[in-house]
Amino acid sequence: MALLELDGLTRRFGGIIAVDRVTMRVEAGEVRAVIGPNGAGKSTLFNLITGVVPTSDGSVRFDDETLTGLSPYSICQRGVSRTFQITALFPEMTARENARLAAQARHARRWQPCGGGAVFGDTERRGDAALERLGLTHVASRPAGLLSHGDQRLLEVAMALAQQPRLLLLDEPTQGLSVEETAQAVETLAGLVSDGAMTVLLVEHDMEVVFRLARMITVLHRGAVIADGTPDEVKADAEVQLAYLGGLA
Amino acid sequence: MSFLRGVAAVACLLALAPAGLPPYAMTLLTEALILGLFAMSLDLMVGYTRLLSFGHAAAYGLGAYTSGNLLLHTTIPLVFAVPIAAVVSGIVAIGVAWVCTLASGVSFSMLTLAFAQLLYAVAFKWTSVTGASDGLAGIPRSPGPFGITFFTGKLGFYYLVLACLLGALLFCRALVRSPFGAVLRGIRENEAKTLTLGYNTRHYKIAVVAIAFALGGLAGALYAPFAGFANTELLFWLFSGQVLIMVIVGGAGTLVGPIIGAAFFMLVSNLLSSWTDSWALFFGLIFILFVLFAPQGIWGLAMRAFSGAPSAAGRGRWRSLNWTG
Amino acid sequence: MEFLGFLITQCLNALSQAALLFFLGVGLTLIFGIMRIVNFAHGTFFMLGAYVGYSAVATIGNFWAALIIAPLLVGGFGAAFELAILRHLYRRDHSAFLMVTFGLTLIMGEAIRLIWGVNALEVAAPQSLSGIVFILDEPFPIYRLFLAGAGIVVAIAIWQFLDRTRLGLLIRATSQNAEMVHALGTDVRLVRSAVFGIGCGLAGVGGVLAAPLVTASLAMAPNAVIDTFVIVIIGGMGSFAGSLIGALLVAFVQVFGTYYFPDLALALMYLVMLTVLVVRPGGLLGKEA
Repeated sequence: MALLELDGLTRRFGGIIAVDRVTMRVEAGEVRAVIGPNGAGKSTLFNLITGVVPTSDGSVRFDDETLTGLSPYSICQRGVSRTFQITALFPEMTARENARLAAQARHARRWQPCGGGAVFGDTERRGDAALERLGLTHVASRPAGLLSHGDQRLLEVAMALAQQPRLLLLDEPTQGLSVEETAQAVETLAGLVSDGAMTVLLVEHDMEVVFRLARMITVLHRGAVIADGTPDEVKADAEVQLAYLGGLA
Repeated sequence: MSFLRGVAAVACLLALAPAGLPPYAMTLLTEALILGLFAMSLDLMVGYTRLLSFGHAAAYGLGAYTSGNLLLHTTIPLVFAVPIAAVVSGIVAIGVAWVCTLASGVSFSMLTLAFAQLLYAVAFKWTSVTGASDGLAGIPRSPGPFGITFFTGKLGFYYLVLACLLGALLFCRALVRSPFGAVLRGIRENEAKTLTLGYNTRHYKIAVVAIAFALGGLAGALYAPFAGFANTELLFWLFSGQVLIMVIVGGAGTLVGPIIGAAFFMLVSNLLSSWTDSWALFFGLIFILFVLFAPQGIWGLAMRAFSGAPSAAGRGRWRSLNWTG
Repeated sequence: MEFLGFLITQCLNALSQAALLFFLGVGLTLIFGIMRIVNFAHGTFFMLGAYVGYSAVATIGNFWAALIIAPLLVGGFGAAFELAILRHLYRRDHSAFLMVTFGLTLIMGEAIRLIWGVNALEVAAPQSLSGIVFILDEPFPIYRLFLAGAGIVVAIAIWQFLDRTRLGLLIRATSQNAEMVHALGTDVRLVRSAVFGIGCGLAGVGGVLAAPLVTASLAMAPNAVIDTFVIVIIGGMGSFAGSLIGALLVAFVQVFGTYYFPDLALALMYLVMLTVLVVRPGGLLGKEA
């Protein structure tokens, strides 16, 4: 049984079908990329999985539990963390404090109204570990708003990581990064996912990044899955070539 | 100088005040401390969670009418009536907050105003409990338990108020430095992100409003026996506005700032009102000037003066609400 | 027959009430829609309109002239305030606007008290509009008919203004993309001052028109502020049609509510606001909550 199972997942906005009966199985430890032309429904797919947008039809099952219909924060509590296309951080807090707050969300006593030395000890440990894995330790004391764009994107990933998720959703992590920053980020992410301990779902436009990181690829076109398989299988797929090269049929 | 040492020093000064100040000044000081508590309670919402309330007078009025009624119609001692009234305010606030947090931003603020106005209107109608526009009069400071009358006298009451203020300050400080407080800060800086991280932000908002109401209610509960009366003026929207001014002018998000803001407000209003009938106009002007030129408030200015220009990272413990864009 | 007459007069009552509320609401929603400013002082501009109207009538002796002059003065003052103070706050957190306009409320309220005194001031309706007319045997004040009519006329006028005139187009464009408008050569700052002035001027018109009904008094402002915000929250911040619907809804609830449940009228209105916020957090037609 796969860790994440999408079954006929559909989302309609009025007359437009943004996500069209998407069925997908993601195994534990897998790194899967979701690619497709603009408007293919990739971000909406993420929003459906994380409960930000309600589903019109179909279901999302995570570790044999139904996620559809749950509130976003409940879904997050079950071990699903995500990053966004547009960076969202706590600009006045330091990078360390950002990571710490992210880690705190999954702590049993996150709501504790006094003291909290033990809680902060745990969360700082997890936060610092996440910062280190993303190579951000040297800017840990800097306010997040003052970090470079590349570091901010990495901090977002660090925050998701600090939550020790079972499923990590990365929404265009290299969006807006320069060539150098992209190369650096990709190496860092590759190091993160190489041991297969985490399940990752990745939305990306940059095909080099996709081929470097992903073991499996799902291709979306106009909200529907048109190909699904290893990078080689997908590259050879005729429909994919049509969708990407053959114009907007 | 650490925060706790500073507070201890000021507390000692205030404890010795009765020895040096004339009775008239002591009355003013007592009222200033009560207002300081009221302003600080609002700071939890405004300064730490960015929940702008235009109806905090509701907390004050609830506390005042509850303790007023308890003291008038029962023999419950003063030292019990006051905390009971505070708890009642906090409990009512849970319902209020549940409703108000259905919305956010400006709509939230307007809902708080609407609720306070509703309470104001109800107070006029429910004459048996509130005495309508005449209010409750002749509120006694009931002695007890065990016949202790220390707190019913002027001196004892002053110490009761001082103890409440200090206790509340220490409580709030612990709260904002706790994990709960860290979440509040997240909500203040980026609520959407906080929600995404997996926090049920609505619950936290309801909790902080309830606590703010309980402490604001504590202030009101102290006011009723202090003044000996309670009336609908305590629920009036201008009062909600005045306490908001105290918070901003004093320095939002610092706990201590609003207390200073309250003292400043009392000082200025007393000075100005002997001069001119229209001191409220000057206060409005002062307020606008602060928002424009000194958004970190008096406390922020003082901190800057003593420690040099603060860098973004070096704000230390005295973080103030970022009005400056 | 009697009931029908009663029903019609009460409906007309509500329409006249809605007209006043509409003047308040549309100004506030315009200001918010274009500039994202929440003008807490809006109720005080309404009150200022009533008082300036009183003085205008007292000096000129003509209600109609006052109806033109007072809103112009009030609107002018609003524009001046935006120019002098508000424009420095655009870079800041939006709660700064709320704070500053609140401060303005206090200042204006006090200034009005100083200039005109504490007593409520009577403003006489013009001769042509005083008196009553009989609708199905029910007496109904002509002035209220005039109000209802004025509301409809102004609503249409504003709609056409936004839709068809150059300035209206500029205003709508600025609300959607101020930078683009600026890049195209228009001084956005002037548009903003104009909009703030127009919004306050509309509140002022409401004040002048309300004066013969409710007399000019210091209690006008707090009630007006709340009414305005209730309307705009119901209709949605920034929506012209929403302020129309909100005004109608609130007016009808107020008029019929006060008749059938005099004690609950206030609570009823808040209940409506709460219901709308629960069902549609952005207001019925709002762009953002």
